This record gives sequence, C-alpha cells and structure tokens, in this order.
Amino acid sequence: MYRTEDVLATLGMIRQYKLDVRTVTMGIDLHPCAASDLDTLRTRLRDRILRFAGRLRAVCLEVEERYGIPIVNRRIAVSPIASIAAGLPSEGYLKVAETLDQVAEEVGVDLVGGFSALVQKGWTASDRKLIASLPVVLSTTKRVCASVNIGTTAAGINMDAAQALGHVLKETAERTRSHDGFGCAKLVVFANAPTDNPFMAGAFHGAGEPDCVINIGVSGPGVVKAAIEDLIAHAPPNSVSLGEIAEEIKSTAFRVTRVGELIGREVAARLGVAFGIVDLSLAPTPQVGDSVGEILQAMGVARIGAPGSTAALALLNDAVKKGGSFASSSVGGLSGAFVAVSEDAALAKAVEDGDLTLSKLEAMTAVCSVGLDMIAVPGDTDPETLAAILADEIAIGVINHKTTAVRIIPVPGKKAGDRAVFGGLFGEMVILPIHAAGGSTAFVRHGGRIPAPLSSLRN
Amino acid sequence: MSTSNYIITVTAADRVGIVHAVTGAIRDLGGNILELSQTVMRGFFTIIVAVEFPSEPAQSVLAETIRERGRAFDLTVAVIPARSAESPIPAATGDRFILTVLGADHVGNIHGISGCLAARGVNIVDLHARADGSRFSLVMEAFLPPELSPLTVREDLERFGKGLGLEAFVQHENIFLATTEPSPVRVGPALHTRGGDAVVPH
Repeated sequence: MYRTEDVLATLGMIRQYKLDVRTVTMGIDLHPCAASDLDTLRTRLRDRILRFAGRLRAVCLEVEERYGIPIVNRRIAVSPIASIAAGLPSEGYLKVAETLDQVAEEVGVDLVGGFSALVQKGWTASDRKLIASLPVVLSTTKRVCASVNIGTTAAGINMDAAQALGHVLKETAERTRSHDGFGCAKLVVFANAPTDNPFMAGAFHGAGEPDCVINIGVSGPGVVKAAIEDLIAHAPPNSVSLGEIAEEIKSTAFRVTRVGELIGREVAARLGVAFGIVDLSLAPTPQVGDSVGEILQAMGVARIGAPGSTAALALLNDAVKKGGSFASSSVGGLSGAFVAVSEDAALAKAVEDGDLTLSKLEAMTAVCSVGLDMIAVPGDTDPETLAAILADEIAIGVINHKTTAVRIIPVPGKKAGDRAVFGGLFGEMVILPIHAAGGSTAFVRHGGRIPAPLSSLRN
Repeated sequence: MSTSNYIITVTAADRVGIVHAVTGAIRDLGGNILELSQTVMRGFFTIIVAVEFPSEPAQSVLAETIRERGRAFDLTVAVIPARSAESPIPAATGDRFILTVLGADHVGNIHGISGCLAARGVNIVDLHARADGSRFSLVMEAFLPPELSPLTVREDLERFGKGLGLEAFVQHENIFLATTEPSPVRVGPALHTRGGDAVVPH
C-alpha cells in the first residue's frame, strides 16, 4: 500500500500545481535523405519524418490518457539542415524548409527544429546559404525553427557569423514587421549547443544521436514555485533557510523528473524508438503562475533584477540539477532555468517596471540556462550592435564551458518603452533599451574568430 | 504431510503486547505465519494473519488459545479455514491504478464509489478511507480490466460524486512508483504476486 501522504503529495502536484510534461520532442536523423536533387531530397525528408513521427501524436494522446499527465507540446528536431541540404542551390533551402513545415503540420506537431548550422570554427558554402535563407524562411514558414551555433569552448567564437546574423536579425524582423519582428523569435544563436535539446526554438538532432529518439522537457516552473510557497506557508514566520528552500526544490525536481522520464520511456517504447534524455529546464509560459520570475519572488526577491536576483537564480538552477540528476541517469539537453523574458509574465513585468535591465539579464545568464532569451530591443538597433550582443552572451558560454544562447528581436518601428506583442506562448514585453548602442562597431567589424579560451588557470 | 491453513483476525483496544500474545499462541500450537498485516485505526488494534499448521487444530481451540493468551487485552478473535487448493486466488489482470476520491463526507460515499467500480469489473486490492470532520478522503489500489480506460472510471466516479462535492482521480501506479521510489523508472505493468500485491523493485 502506498502511503496516503505520498499519494496526496503527488496528486497535489498534478491537480493544483499543474504538473505536466512540457514537451515530447522526437529527434530524427535525416542524413539518409541527402540527395543533390531537390525533389528527391524533399520526398525522402517527408517519407522519413512520416515513418518515424506518423504515430507520434496518437501515441502521446494514449500515454496522456493512461497516466493522466498532460503532454503540452509535441515537437520534432531534425539533423542540422545545412549538412543535409549541402549541394543544393540557394533557392533549395527555402523549399526544404517548406517541406519541413508541411510535414510538421501533417503529423500534428506545432514546431520543427533543426533548420540549423554549426559554424563555430568556420562555415561551409552550405552553412552560408542556410544563414542567408533565414529571413525568408522565418518569415514565410509557420513551424520551422532555426539555430546557428557560433561558438564553442573548444573552437572559440566565429565573429564573421555573428556579424552575418546581426544582418539576418534585422532583415527577418523587417520581413515580419506587422508581427513586431516575430520571425526572430524562431532563431536561436548558440554557444556550446547541446545535440539533444528538446526545447524550441533551439532543438536539433545532433551528431552522435541514433536514427530516432524521444527527448523530454519536464514540467514548468509552476510546480517549483508552489512547493516553495507551501514550504514557507507551513513554517513559522522567518524560519525557512535558503538551504531548506534548496532541499524543497531538489525534492520537487526529483518528482518532476521522474514523471518526465516515465512518460518519455513509455512514448518511446510504444513507438519502438530509443529514449534519449530528460531536460530539466524550467520553461516558463506567459500564464501567471508558470514563471521562473515568480519562483524568485517566492524565494523573497520581490523585485526581479534587484541585487540578489543572480544568487537566487543560481540556487534555483543548482537545486533543480541536483534533484533531477539523482532522479535519472538520462538527464541532458539544456537543463537549467530559462529566463525567457517575453514568455515569463513576472520577468516581463520587471522589465516594464524598470527593475530588470539587459545588463542584469546578461549577468543572470552566467548562472542559468539558456541566455538572453526572447528579448525585444529597439527596431533601429544596428546590425553590428546586435552582433556584439550575440558575441557578449556567447563569450559567457564559451569561457564558462556552458551553453548560452540569444533570441533577440529588434522590433521594427518601435523604440525602448514601447510594447512588443508576439502572442501565444511567445508572450509580450516592453522593449528594453540598449545602452551605448553602436559603441562597438569597429570591434565587430574586425571579424575573424575569437580564439578558444585557455582551459587551465581557471580563476 | 498434509497441512491446514487458517485466516485469523484479532481486534482490541490498542495496547502494547498484543502482537506478542497472539503470535505466541500461534507458535505454541505449531503454526507457521505465512503473512501478517496489522494496523491501528482510531485507537483500535486489528491484525489479520494467514497461518499454516502441520495438523488440523479445531477452530474453537485455536480461537480460545489466542483469547486466553491475550486475556489481559480482551481480544475479539475470528478463525476461518483457508483451503487454498479448493479456492485458488484469482490471478490479477490488467494494470494497477491508484484511485483517489476527495471531498465532503457523506453517509454512503464508499458504498457508492465501490458500486461504480464493481459495475466495471474493477478489483479493489487495497483501500484506506478517512473522514476528518466534514472532509472525506479515500485512496485505493485497484486493478482495471485491460480494456477499461481510466478515463471511463474517472467519469463514472465524477458522475457519482457530482452532487456530493467529491472529486475523483485515477492514476496509473507507475506515476507513484516513479515519484516515491528511487529505483529505476519502469514502464508497462508493475510486477505483482498472484494475490495482487505490488513487488516494488529496489
């Protein structure tokens, strides 16, 4: 017999704190599809994705019913398209993206990731063609997500790519001007990109992965926030230490991770494919109560961005990893707390109140995943400044041996203090000012590669 | 050698030493305890014991010996012959689910809930219910027939509980195994003995 208290604790997470599985993401290797003829390639892509993912939606619904745990999103991540489409003419990249878009709709997934290139040390002709196609692809397809890895700890930072992406961001934003530059929300620029990340927009199926794999993104921040609030509410006033808060987060992360692994293994077994990893990341949504910012508030940081915010985030991120890594030997992906500003109601409010600045966000990303995420900036920001912001954030990842990333949207026709609205899961926020914009143009224009950092003398 | 099996239940106001007295009587009569479950509910001690004897002691002798050994506790004893060969335990089929019902306490809650389950062929193997003031809670373990959807059971229970202020939840036991046990996560039906008890992997 299970202890009634244990049953009610788990049930409480499902019932009151909305425990769910944030995403079931199927990774599919597309290398067997490679062909120099565009039509052949498109046919092979479609057939292969349908073969693996044709039953994904139905199986997720079966597992939801069996366990009573909602699966919020179903997604697909494919091999970086720059390596699959190599040899195609420039116009072929858009056609490949359209095929991915169509087949994603056909199998019932809301996003497909992997329109990607890995260019940290240098770029091939195919990488350049893919990057050049991004403004059109991101403005004309609905479900396709793109990412470009421009830095690794082993290779340094490709500043030519950073510069090119500054221009891509400007053009993509302009092409989606009527939607506040929304196309940029589907492009992630990475350092040390993981090969098994299930979260969009940065998911792709990297080298070293099997033909097909199921990766899981665990439940959102609401469960952790509720656990902290419960702990504090049931203790005498001012009696809960930060160590006790960390323990509470750890045990909550344990339960959340175990549910994620259970659902992932069940989906994989029913589909007859490999189970990959559980990504422990706390991914917010714009819904009140599903916010990383609200976790910090529950811990006592009333104004997010105030001194102490970085320490609180570090505690949260570390405790989640400790609980999750005890729960499962299959932890991977990004596995940290996301500070996706427009997607997180409390963070967006902190920006609106003037408490949370770009500089403070950058500091916070040094202790969590994934980086400067869903940041709206003025539409007149020049490409070199955007490239410099990319470079700063990527440098944090490269030097600290961790993944960092940037999703930044220069909102056309709008200035700091105006509101950018992306809608749905992407949320909305007040546009952040960039201090000293244009002050590093010459640095960016040097181009070339920032060398790989030293791996010793680590102080 | 032929053996005789009995199910023995003993109830009394809870005191220290009752288990010692009951098992002492069983030992003195040569009985070997196969399984034992004991709990205290609202101050009352209850024990149920499955015992194997090498010979066949009279039921009345067995009950009287236990009562006598525990006379300081004023025991209520029942002894029932358990002829397992004649009435084999039905094998558990389907998956084990944890059913939870929470809400307002009413006369007939458990009767109504168990009626919903019996009508669908759901086999209850463990149940604990409690009323604290006006608040009712019930947690049970039950096997759902393979073709029965947990959603159907939940809908039946919600229909029953709608006017009574009861909420019902039906969760596969793997959820609870995963969240309460540090052993590796496992999918598919849990391992069970013939009697339906879960074998929790450690």
